[in-house]
Amino acid sequence: MKVQKNGRVARFRPVGRQFGFVVLLMALAGCGGGQSALNTAGREAASIALLFWVMLCGAVVLWLLVNGAFYYVSRIAPGRLDTRHARSVLIGGGIVLPVVVLTALLAWGLSILPDPRRPGDGLVVRVTGEQWWWRVEYWPEGAETPIVTANEIRLPAGQRTEFRLAADEVIHSFWIPALGGKMDMFPGRETMISLAPERPGVYRGQCAEFCGASHAWMAFAAVVMPPEAFDDWLAAEAADAVPPTDEAALRGQEVFLSEGCGACHTVRGTEAVGTVGPDLTHIGSRRTLGAGRSTVTLENLGTWITHTEALKPEVRMPSYALSEGDLADLTQYLKGLK
Amino acid sequence: MSEEHQPRREEDAKEFAEEQASLFKITFGPLIWAVHFVVCYGLVAVTCAKGWDIFATRLGLVLLSALALGGIGWVGWSAWRQWNPSRTGDPMNRGSRAEDRHHFLGHAAFLLSIISLIGVVFVSMPLILIGGCQ
Repeated sequence: MKVQKNGRVARFRPVGRQFGFVVLLMALAGCGGGQSALNTAGREAASIALLFWVMLCGAVVLWLLVNGAFYYVSRIAPGRLDTRHARSVLIGGGIVLPVVVLTALLAWGLSILPDPRRPGDGLVVRVTGEQWWWRVEYWPEGAETPIVTANEIRLPAGQRTEFRLAADEVIHSFWIPALGGKMDMFPGRETMISLAPERPGVYRGQCAEFCGASHAWMAFAAVVMPPEAFDDWLAAEAADAVPPTDEAALRGQEVFLSEGCGACHTVRGTEAVGTVGPDLTHIGSRRTLGAGRSTVTLENLGTWITHTEALKPEVRMPSYALSEGDLADLTQYLKGLK
Repeated sequence: MSEEHQPRREEDAKEFAEEQASLFKITFGPLIWAVHFVVCYGLVAVTCAKGWDIFATRLGLVLLSALALGGIGWVGWSAWRQWNPSRTGDPMNRGSRAEDRHHFLGHAAFLLSIISLIGVVFVSMPLILIGGCQ
């Protein structure tokens, strides 16, 4: 508020407008980024986005028509309409138009509905919703054992990948907005969705069904790669963990095993074969830590191990009180698991 | 109104009997729609749960839909004749005579059969556009 020379308080009138502008900017910011259904990178998402835009434009046209008609009868030509005219407006605008528009939208919607149910081109990815992370198994065509990883999903561009979805304890929902529509995951029941990503890039998936205290922290990175790069990555992912070479990491591996981390976590190629928590064989090369909670840096690894419950409420993994030296060694070991 | 035009008792009874019948008639369109809806959703769900042949179910339900549309068409046609706006010259039937009520119920049944027809078409569309149980 500003006090003018004459002592009056000047009303700062454009505040409302500026506030509205800021809110609009904030809302529009949600349209971009890696987790936007409007910033599409796959066929399923593109058809949903097209449907959205058509419906949005249609809604704007309808809004203009309804308000235009209201303006016309209340301001431009007030008074009674003749019965014949009024009836044609009622029947045309109230019955014929909605029936035609809704039938067309229904037919369109139903025609794109079967797309994400189509079988994949070969690769099958099994994803299980856990409390609150994602167990991921890659089953390339003809594979007898899966390639197990967690909290990150990589897909080859230009191919349709089939997802087989399940859940451990409660209902979750698998959703990568930039690639396609979501699918619920149920304990004791398998659901299926197939996605055809087209544009390589890093996107974000998120659990879309409230599943408990850390539901909001149940995310993952979805990386779409050119097919050759994907094949190379999958081959590297299938390999055992690289044994540590430097001394700190070697000490870290001992800390890992002596603290009992292996009871819950697997690091392939070591004695750690637990399956309660996420597989850590290649944790060092993942884009996120703790199912999208933070990035994999030495500092974040340390914070995660010592403040797990603070970062992810009600998570099963307890916070560990380690000496500074042990913690530094342990994070060095984990970061080196590329 | 002269004495001889007063309706006799049995004439009244006949008129009202017809009106009772047409009160039922206005429910026929929505009833066919409702039965069609329940049978479509129920049978597809049971077929998928039991692993029966979905193609046979779809074919049967498409035939059932054609039958339902025919039934509603027939109800609508008979309601149109009862309403009879072109012959009476009065589509609204605001009067309070039994005859006005008779025409008005025809009007209502006709409009309900239109919406039931649209309902059955909408319920049938997934049968044609979505294949299988996935």
